Amino acid sequence: MTQGATSAAHPPDERRAAPHYGSVFGHLASSTLYRSTIGAIVETRIGRLFLLVIVPLIWIVVFNLGPLFQVIRISFLANYPLEEGAEAAYTLSNYTAFFQEPIYYIPFIRSLIFSALATVVTLIVVYPIAYYIAKIVRPQRRTKALLLLLVPFWAGEIIRTFSVIMLLANRGAINMLLRELGLIDRPIPMLYSYFSLSFGVVYLVCLYMLLPLYSAIEKIPSPLLDAAADLGAGPLTRFRRVVLPLSRDGIVSGCSLVFLTCIGVFATPMLLGGPNTSLFPETIGAFFHGASDKWPIGAAFATILLVASLITAGLFMRVVGDRTTRLM
Amino acid sequence: MDVRTTRRSALKILGGGALSVPYIIRPRPGWAATQVLNITTYDKFLPKEFVDKFQRDTGIEVRIRLTDDQGKQYNLLTAEASKPSTDIVTVAGHRFAQFVDSKLLAPLDTGRIANWKNLISVYQDSPWLRINGNIWGTPILAGYEGLVRNTEQVKDTDSWGVMFDPKYEGLTSYIVGDFLSITMLYLGHDGDFVSYMGKSQEAQKATNEARDFLIKNKGMLRKFYDAGSEVQQMFINEDIYLAQAWSGPAAKLIMEGHPVELSVPKEGTYGFVYTLNLVNNAPNAENAYKFLDAVLASPEVGASMTRQSGFASTFSGVDKLLNERERKAAALPQAQVERIRFFSSQNRDMKNEMVDRASAEIKAA
Repeated sequence: MTQGATSAAHPPDERRAAPHYGSVFGHLASSTLYRSTIGAIVETRIGRLFLLVIVPLIWIVVFNLGPLFQVIRISFLANYPLEEGAEAAYTLSNYTAFFQEPIYYIPFIRSLIFSALATVVTLIVVYPIAYYIAKIVRPQRRTKALLLLLVPFWAGEIIRTFSVIMLLANRGAINMLLRELGLIDRPIPMLYSYFSLSFGVVYLVCLYMLLPLYSAIEKIPSPLLDAAADLGAGPLTRFRRVVLPLSRDGIVSGCSLVFLTCIGVFATPMLLGGPNTSLFPETIGAFFHGASDKWPIGAAFATILLVASLITAGLFMRVVGDRTTRLM
Repeated sequence: MDVRTTRRSALKILGGGALSVPYIIRPRPGWAATQVLNITTYDKFLPKEFVDKFQRDTGIEVRIRLTDDQGKQYNLLTAEASKPSTDIVTVAGHRFAQFVDSKLLAPLDTGRIANWKNLISVYQDSPWLRINGNIWGTPILAGYEGLVRNTEQVKDTDSWGVMFDPKYEGLTSYIVGDFLSITMLYLGHDGDFVSYMGKSQEAQKATNEARDFLIKNKGMLRKFYDAGSEVQQMFINEDIYLAQAWSGPAAKLIMEGHPVELSVPKEGTYGFVYTLNLVNNAPNAENAYKFLDAVLASPEVGASMTRQSGFASTFSGVDKLLNERERKAAALPQAQVERIRFFSSQNRDMKNEMVDRASAEIKAA
């Protein structure tokens, strides 16, 4: 907006009379430079809105989308990091390599299947908990119950993964307890298997399922359940015909969030998985850590994983959810 | 002072603040400060007491960035090109060639390191230290790939074959890339690929044989691991009784009194030496030389490094400072010492390519 433009909210006189607060801000606000720049911008609603969103917008673009675009760019390079003075050469071979080698697409398929199963298991484990907190716990105690469930998530992924190791190891809490009770004389090997991997991942992501489910179930009006009971519906029928359909949005959001988290989880499978549970993020990681220069192929595979997981989650939301379903 | 804030003034201030944010969070070339030294090294390599003392004595602020992998250091240095954010890196001797060929390291002027003479003589000037007539690093710690066994569960053995003994099914662990080289040795091949220079078909055949052997015996394995702390944890938890491990993490377990033994089986193994290296175009090269000289100043620093990392020190006089248990953990019978061949820097590209691929195939099988 130009200096001469009029504004209904601020008559020209008021606009020209620079405020002076007798402070550093007053001096700043009354300076010609300020009035011709920021002062001019904040005269309009759009300008004020622009000033409010510009910092978060820069943050998102520079720190969230920037690295992502950089990874995508690297994925099309023939070599990276580039030697000084070397010309960047672009290629599709990093992407075609994925489809040519079973050692690449087998872990990818394994990751998709594992993530889908982990999502289903998480849903089955968390749904009763979410229902219990949302519908059975007294309203004044719900916050406390939720807080109790949130506490472990204040610790990081690695810490929680090591807590699972302490629990499931041969000399971990479970084996020691069983041995003390005289139920076993040799430890049950639980770690470094699909069981420990699933256990760890479900523990890691269950919060992403719990919150959307709780939010959806809590909104279901209790009179609906009472009415269904009055009409002769048993607990199972009430759940199947009333609760489940009305909590669909929560299920779709929760499952989408959990699936997207599961498919990209890296440290937990490395620490809890066994020799036959290698997942795709581990394959990608090897390209970045390996002795050879393989960043472009690693970046290409990361892009493939990103696109595939977004498509899968998108399709799931489209098929199972409805138009109003949102992730958050 | 009369301060009245209105929506309008608040918005103006907010706008001013928003526009000043880029100045506040602007990148500062902190690493180019004169009293700073940036070091990339492994966890537990540099004793905190020594670093603190160096900072007090010189006024140079030491900033340590941890790494756990040679490849990561190589990739990061390459990405930073002529503007490195670190002055010193920690490269294993057999990886010199890759770093030197990519112009990532600066040759060391040992004349500027007065305490160079405090290194054990064999480490002051060895063929592997020299490339193109220059010395490329300050040796600090030496290690090898060893066979680690739980002494309460596994009888004394002198062969890598125990790793494939059905009696220990599901109780073994190894770093897949490293153990592939060991398996090649076990099967009578050259796990270091030096003799395969210009013989890629022969190398591929030997690699494939070792790969197939490990795939066939994959059922023996409890877990592929990556970090020394993982194998330590598995031994402590008794999740495994046998492992291929670097001598450092294994020796640490022995020092702490755990019932494990570290040995070099008759088929042999590979050794390596960690060195501190000056980065090419290091912004604080002067400080780096001061630090390298200080590191070598006394055997106490070497002893402290050995206690922390478990690896053997390259400094003279360290043995006298270690207690019986520490000495025992880091020592080997002479016959076993002679079985260690140090990794060569020759033919690394072929080795890396074939081993990386075979490792991926073993994991995916």
